[in-house]
Amino acid sequence: MTAIERALYELNEIDGYACGSSLMHRLDPRAKTIVTLLYIATVLSFRLDSLTGIMSLWIFPILLSALGGISYNRVFVKSLYVLPFIALIGIFNPIFDRRPALTAGHVVITVGWLQFISICLRGMLAVQASLILVMTTGFMKICHGLRRMGLPAVFTTQLLMVHRYLSVLLKEAASMDCARRSRGYGRRHYTPRLWGIFIGQLLVRTVARAGRIHMAMLSRGFDGNAAIRSTMRWSAADTIFLTACAAAFAIARLADLSRLFNILTLR
Amino acid sequence: MHMADALVSPAVAGAAGAAAIALLATAAKKVKTGTSDSIVPLMGVMGAFIFAAQMINFSIPGTGSSGHIVGGILLGAVLGPWAAFLTLTSVLVVQCLIFADGGLMALGCNVINMAAMSTLVAYPLVYRPIAGRHAPVKPWRISAAAVAASIVGLELGALLVTAETEMSGVTALPWNEFLTLMCSIHLFIGIGEGIATAAVLYFIRSYKPDMLAACREASAEQTHARSYSKAAWIFIGAALLLGGLFTWIASSDPDGLEWSIQSITGSADLAPAASGTVASVLESVQTSTSLLPDYGSTWSGVIGCAIVITLVWIMAALITRKKPAVKKL
Repeated sequence: MTAIERALYELNEIDGYACGSSLMHRLDPRAKTIVTLLYIATVLSFRLDSLTGIMSLWIFPILLSALGGISYNRVFVKSLYVLPFIALIGIFNPIFDRRPALTAGHVVITVGWLQFISICLRGMLAVQASLILVMTTGFMKICHGLRRMGLPAVFTTQLLMVHRYLSVLLKEAASMDCARRSRGYGRRHYTPRLWGIFIGQLLVRTVARAGRIHMAMLSRGFDGNAAIRSTMRWSAADTIFLTACAAAFAIARLADLSRLFNILTLR
Repeated sequence: MHMADALVSPAVAGAAGAAAIALLATAAKKVKTGTSDSIVPLMGVMGAFIFAAQMINFSIPGTGSSGHIVGGILLGAVLGPWAAFLTLTSVLVVQCLIFADGGLMALGCNVINMAAMSTLVAYPLVYRPIAGRHAPVKPWRISAAAVAASIVGLELGALLVTAETEMSGVTALPWNEFLTLMCSIHLFIGIGEGIATAAVLYFIRSYKPDMLAACREASAEQTHARSYSKAAWIFIGAALLLGGLFTWIASSDPDGLEWSIQSITGSADLAPAASGTVASVLESVQTSTSLLPDYGSTWSGVIGCAIVITLVWIMAALITRKKPAVKKL
């Protein structure tokens, strides 16, 4: 699978998940967006060496994905993609911070390694929260929610159009790439000159398409902003969800949940 | 260069987010009032184009590796700075939400580091003076402008990534070493990005020169001098906000929450929760086996969390298990 095909697959997969009808799917996108931001802020507010505190917050993505009827395994695997860049920066902590923190038999685990694991976990949990948001809401509804939350209409229209034309242009790029690869005699990458012509062609096609789209939109009454059918209504369920999640995050941040888990399981 | 949430503290993410929203509001105003209607669909499709183009790699001669376009300068040359900023920001949002590339909380940092630095700083201050205000005539001017602007944009981005990560107190890597590492890597990436951008811009200049923003601006005889001075002020404000006001919050001791608790209760520690006898015995054993008392409860916490997470994970897997679409007869 090429990078373009993988991107197309992920785009369709997200749209597929967003079509569900679970409790999470029925909630207002604004409530879910605020809860996601609160969760990430809670995760990031822990000190780096507080591994147990960050770890105790792991329970929320699992619960929320179950509420949304989404396989947590899929969310977990997708969140692993974020690791390489985080690990690249986090790996310096074990090198520079060699103070001993824990012992496992004769092996001493340093503060640097604890911090490294915390950094990786923070990154993964934050990504999982964002993924659950978009998988239970869908990109279009998130854009509508952002518009209702006061983001400029030009920007939300732009977001909607980028999302709408992403699959169209990815398919166009995939077919051009496939044609080139099938005549490339095993050469995987393009020479810079050929690449310039290739991308330039894609750009010219894109602009021609944009012109046609604009004419079609104008003929249907487009005035610069995408019209949004307003079916979004904040209900009591949204207030309860937001309050419950905010309270749970506050408890998890202020009280040590790992101590509770420890008592529950090891007692 | 996409920063993940793990690399920023809430204070730094909040400050960058506020600066990004301020820039977004200005850009939305500029695009709405300062450009023709036809640029809106062009922006949408150009965003999708940049995303698709990022998937296609070119080989870097002599290294065996490959690179791809990032797109800030290319978007600036085609759409103009503010529309390019909006477009690149929208691409970053799609990458963050759908492809888990860059964090949601760190989105403000990514918008400032990547979109703003390339489209609002490197494009107007480096690309345009070199390429000329009107449609560039000579290929060397396009190439020089694209390479120089790409390097400046990426280096500024790398500088900000370093500053934001250091201010967040995430990495133990000292500032000088981190900055040297980031800037040297991004110098090479910038050269590659610049050559790629120049190749595409040269193609546009040859086949469809009216696509370049400089051509449209020349025909409309518009001047943007005031808008750039305003952008510069916004940047100075954002830099001061990031650099000065929030540095003390981002420092590790005490953290923001502890500070607020300290100011309320007079002590940074919360009252210890009542614990059972088994837990306290376990804790005393763990304290005696660990080397630092601060980390005494870490093992028990890790084990407890791991067990609960595994149990909940299994339960969640059972709940969300796929049911067969058609029942077997």
